[in-house]
Amino acid sequence: METFIIKRDGKKEAFSIGKIKDAIRKAFLSVGSFATDEVIANILCRVNISNGVTVEDIQNQVEIALMSERYYAVAKAYMIYRQKHLEDREVRDKLQFLMDYCDAQNAATGSKFDANANVENKNLATLIGELPKSNFIRLNRRMLTDRIKDMYGKEVSDRYLDLLNNHYIYKNDETSLANYCASITMYPWLISGTASIGGNSKAPTNLKSFCGGFINMVFMVSSMLSGACATPEFLMYMNYFIGLEFGDDYYLNTDRIVDLSKKQRTLDKVITDCFEQIVYSINQPTGARNFQAVFWNISYYDRFYFESLFGEFYFPNGTQPHWDSMNWLQKRFMKWFNQERTKTILTFPVETMALLSADGDAKDKEYGDFTAEMYAEGHSFFTYMSDNADSLSSCCRLRNEITDNGFSYTLGAGGVSTGSKSVLTINLSRCIQDSARKGKHYLFFLEEVVDLVHKVQVAYNENLKYMHEKGMLPLFDAGYINMSRQYLTIGVNGLVEAAESLGIEITDNPKYLEFVQQVLGLIEYYNKKYRTKDMMFNCEMIPAENVGVKHAKWDKRDGFKVNRDCYNSYFYIVEDESINILDKFRLHGHKYIEHLTGGSALHMNLDEHLSKGQYKQLLRVAVQEGCNYFTFNIPNTVCNSCGHIDKHNLKTCPVCNSQDVDYLTRIIGYMKRVSNFSESRQIEASQRHYATVSQL
Amino acid sequence: MLLYHSYNIVFQEVPGEVTLAINLSNCPNGCKGCHSPYLQENTGSTLDENVIATLLARYGEAITCICFMGGDANPEDVQNLVWFIKNNTQGRLKTAWYSGRPKLTDQFNLTTLDYLKLGPYIEQLGGLDSPATNQRFYCVIDGELEDKTLGFQKRKSLPAFPYDIF
Repeated sequence: METFIIKRDGKKEAFSIGKIKDAIRKAFLSVGSFATDEVIANILCRVNISNGVTVEDIQNQVEIALMSERYYAVAKAYMIYRQKHLEDREVRDKLQFLMDYCDAQNAATGSKFDANANVENKNLATLIGELPKSNFIRLNRRMLTDRIKDMYGKEVSDRYLDLLNNHYIYKNDETSLANYCASITMYPWLISGTASIGGNSKAPTNLKSFCGGFINMVFMVSSMLSGACATPEFLMYMNYFIGLEFGDDYYLNTDRIVDLSKKQRTLDKVITDCFEQIVYSINQPTGARNFQAVFWNISYYDRFYFESLFGEFYFPNGTQPHWDSMNWLQKRFMKWFNQERTKTILTFPVETMALLSADGDAKDKEYGDFTAEMYAEGHSFFTYMSDNADSLSSCCRLRNEITDNGFSYTLGAGGVSTGSKSVLTINLSRCIQDSARKGKHYLFFLEEVVDLVHKVQVAYNENLKYMHEKGMLPLFDAGYINMSRQYLTIGVNGLVEAAESLGIEITDNPKYLEFVQQVLGLIEYYNKKYRTKDMMFNCEMIPAENVGVKHAKWDKRDGFKVNRDCYNSYFYIVEDESINILDKFRLHGHKYIEHLTGGSALHMNLDEHLSKGQYKQLLRVAVQEGCNYFTFNIPNTVCNSCGHIDKHNLKTCPVCNSQDVDYLTRIIGYMKRVSNFSESRQIEASQRHYATVSQL
Repeated sequence: MLLYHSYNIVFQEVPGEVTLAINLSNCPNGCKGCHSPYLQENTGSTLDENVIATLLARYGEAITCICFMGGDANPEDVQNLVWFIKNNTQGRLKTAWYSGRPKLTDQFNLTTLDYLKLGPYIEQLGGLDSPATNQRFYCVIDGELEDKTLGFQKRKSLPAFPYDIF
């Protein structure tokens, strides 16, 4: 019977003794010696070839055989030769990746490890960002497992790698060294400029230096984060500087000409030019971030939210934030941004409207009305509604409890500083299906996984503290963010798919509710158990930008039941047409999101815009159901021929009648062209059911 | 007896309202080019006060209007259910009827309806969004019909956004 060996690429090949002999001869020659047939025979005696043995294994055996026969110099030469080839192979693989990337349809499809979300086109800069990703993964993994070994022993560390490699869990953003995302307080910058985070600009003194300095500051902060940078105080500070220059009552007459240059600009024009400078600068692809734009988020507030967050706030000149002008500025920015988006594709800022609710409706009627009006005018933004200003969502996904609404003269408003240090995600579908396969109750296995991910996060936190102690994290030192106010996040993915595998119907029914509460309740229990004075955990349903696609692919490959190519980021099945809009609000209502402390944003997909009155009613529905975080998503049309952007979902361009159109849709928070999604995600977007308007 | 095929939450059929639309089957009109010919068949489940009460329990607080799509074979049953809805929601919920008849029977009490669509679907003339349509959409104010059909056509002309026409 012929013997086969397995080559490095996994292919089988008939075994040939000649190749081994050749290699041994060459090794002897390389140290100036010669191997006789007898010498070779003695070495080969020690090598055991069985069917299915790998090349790597044969070479290991040859190494040992050379040493056993006491040819140490030859063994060393042989080892060095092998190492050199290993390095060659790595370079060859990188080169292959480079060529594949150049051939890929777009940047997201080309990315091998962790597709950068907001990269529009592939080019040299994005490729430069892709190449070191595998090294970062290895480095991050090593740092983490070393720490786990240190804290919990080798067994836990091995178990972590085992779960990770077998896709029970997923470490998000492993390709970056930075901690994840942060909502910052800008107060330290307002007081002392960027010097404390390594920059050279002084504190802003006027509107112009505020705008320029703000852009620089956001870029600097973002370069030290792997995810989003939220500036919930952006408009409040801008309002302060406008007030310093034009008076606190500036908003009462914005048509007056305040620019004495030939341009003769009105105050309104001066202000919107500031918007333009900031928004367009921040939406630029950024060199230091591999051509990604920074992820920038801002917030709007109704009167009550604003008062409870900033009621105690004092600016450096001793004044307090001025609501009436702030109110005007918020609305002006939103209206301006909505208009600007018909001119060009602007992804950032991701905006969240924070509304306080009372008696089943928005408490601040003016802002409830304005929110509905902006949706009806086709603006795309998030709404966060809470019956108590004890929490805020300042990120495109992250909700946080506000533990301290106070004001400090060194740190500013306490409520806005938060974020997530790191996200570690549990693939619920695999965990639960695998338990069923092994005939065990899923809660036993899940509990082991949940406990382990908490240990891993604690280890991550230790590494972060180490970096902090060594002065590597100036954002913390300077007070932009606070170590004890940042969460360690446990992500979940495949929740709907896990329930489906147990035969549970994905509708609002007691069985599904029980399942959701059991699983998320377990995670919350451990979040509390591991919580310490300066370490907090939360749980979020992660947006399945690329993890959902990966999990579906891996699970399908390993024979698990997989009903779709991208796991859901919602509590309902996206393509299920029998779930109506009100059901979706209910399925993201308080009963379901209760234990999801880190939040989940309902993306209500509609195929056309609604009227203001209809949106107002839906805001009421959200309050009644306790759905605290949502957005309405209506695909905008971009004409590939003439560049026209239309806020409606159209098949032909209304300007040039071209049928070559693309769509912008909101995906985990930000707007993006559908054709720039990775391939699987494009399929998900096309299957996504936009609630249809039945024909008349 | 009324039979219903399905229900859905809709936004365009009754402008400005969040509407629970109930698709009734057994339609006698037999319009050529009908968008859902299955509704002409005698299929579906019974629609009675119990079913309406169940739907009200589930969606009553979230919607602003209930619309009957069809039911021309049994106008008096539609009338009764409209009464039932008005009585059980203290008049809070609006009611609408999409009828394929050119006009209502005299027995029908208009005051219980807030919106009414009349007219069969004629392929050449098109639906409510077609400028040539024979169909009419009315707002019922104090028992009088106010023609609001134009609103459907306005909404189609871009770039205006949908607005509350009433």
